[in-house]
Amino acid sequence: MSNFIIETNKLTKKFGSSKVVNNVNLQVKKGEIYGFLGPNGAGKTTSIRMLLGLARPTNGSVQIFGKDIKKERLSILKKVGSLVEYPSYYGHLTAYENLEAARLLLGATKPRIDEVLAIVRLTKDAKRPVKGFSLGMKQRLGIATALLGNPELLILDEPTNGLDPSGIIEIRELIKSMPKEHGITILISSHLLSEIDQMATQVGIITKGQMIFQDSILKLRAQSTSKIKLTVNDAEAAWKSLLTHGYRTDFNQNKLFIENGSDDNVAEIVKSLVQNNYSIYRVEEERKSLEEIFLELTGLEGGL
Amino acid sequence: MGRLFQSEFLKLRRSSIWLLIFVSPILSLVLGLSELSEIGEFEQHQWTATLGIMTISHAILFLPLLTGIFSSFICRYEHVAGGWKQLLSLPVSRRNLYIVKILIVSLLIAATQILFILGLFIIGWMKGYPIEIPWGTISTSVFGGWLACMPLIALQMFASVAWSSFAAPLAVNVIFTIPNMLIVNSERFGPYYPWSQPFLMMMPNSAENFGALNVSIETLFIVIFGSLILFLGTGLVYFLRKEI
Repeated sequence: MSNFIIETNKLTKKFGSSKVVNNVNLQVKKGEIYGFLGPNGAGKTTSIRMLLGLARPTNGSVQIFGKDIKKERLSILKKVGSLVEYPSYYGHLTAYENLEAARLLLGATKPRIDEVLAIVRLTKDAKRPVKGFSLGMKQRLGIATALLGNPELLILDEPTNGLDPSGIIEIRELIKSMPKEHGITILISSHLLSEIDQMATQVGIITKGQMIFQDSILKLRAQSTSKIKLTVNDAEAAWKSLLTHGYRTDFNQNKLFIENGSDDNVAEIVKSLVQNNYSIYRVEEERKSLEEIFLELTGLEGGL
Repeated sequence: MGRLFQSEFLKLRRSSIWLLIFVSPILSLVLGLSELSEIGEFEQHQWTATLGIMTISHAILFLPLLTGIFSSFICRYEHVAGGWKQLLSLPVSRRNLYIVKILIVSLLIAATQILFILGLFIIGWMKGYPIEIPWGTISTSVFGGWLACMPLIALQMFASVAWSSFAAPLAVNVIFTIPNMLIVNSERFGPYYPWSQPFLMMMPNSAENFGALNVSIETLFIVIFGSLILFLGTGLVYFLRKEI
């Protein structure tokens, strides 16, 4: 038994000869909001479909709650709420009836339907056929369905698609509150880093089917720490001079870089340069944004 | 499985497709009323003769077509907006789901059959047929017709699950149903053609009878049960392995 809620082992899915998901080892701990990040077509949805037992892996295994999805699909799915890709619904039924159809299968109580309708603010529209709903409303209904069975694990694939800004904030707050209030673990996929950045505690970045980064969001943020760039008249000589005075800087492309320097540290280096008669043209801060790190990690195609 | 039934019924009730159960019984009623004014002389055969006339359009054309329409419809609302995806991410066994879908279609066909006998009774009552209703003949015909629809339902369900298009499985069904009018009359092919079985089972007084049913034992076991097992098995295995 591991302490992971979701653990995949070398999960692989081939369509024809191309590996859409390639040796992915996804690990989600209890109580985390795991941001599953990747550009469009990176294999996020395919991975999620394998997590839920909708598609079968070509290779590798999926364990949820420490159980194999192949063998114990039903007992796992009882405790999992999900929203995959675009919202699913029965257009000829009302919102309430849609939830009732799912409730019967989950064995949830009837009052729970009103609760989840209230959570996603659809109480007023509950008696309308869903075919007349906007995409955002269908998305809310999908989230309501996911919450219906009081799940211990929520798997949400692009849950804020189609929502308006206030809806996005609402859903985001809802998602953030759930691990604290109910001990729910959440896996949320997105192609927008900013969105994951605002919610997730752990991040997994997938591109071209391969997991290229998996760690806490803090580690990812650490990669975006700033550097101070100094432009001086004779950079190489200045660099050597600084070294003899005991200041470590990086010399690169005729510029000096100070990494992780405190304000005092930067001030001392500047002072030392001035005292040794170097002309300082510019002192600039260079910060790599998370977006840039993401693009760097996923390669150029991800940026399109 | 009970909850699965309830859930499926909820979805079915709100679509109007179940209204189709009335179409064939009403048409058969009209046919039975209009074409049979001179049957009066054979008093003891009035019921059987009327049943025979009503059976022709009902069993050759409508029953096979209805198996396809109902199957297609019951899968249609799953195909349209990701229903399969949602349904199968809930704690639902694929096998049970498939079987419940087939059972619901077979219940719709059973309802059609019951309405069909009601039609026969209405004719008998209006025309003053003898009070001794030949229950054996009628129930054999109606039950047999239902039984003969089972392999067709299994096949149509397979096609409807496999193709997300609504029309494709129906087209296949029509292609197989139309030649029925010729094949039911063929002594050589009729007994082996699954689409002919509803008619052969429903038509009273066929030459060779097995037990209480209107067809021979070979036909019953080889064609009806054989094709049922084949179609049901293939469809089920397909659905269990299908990637959603």
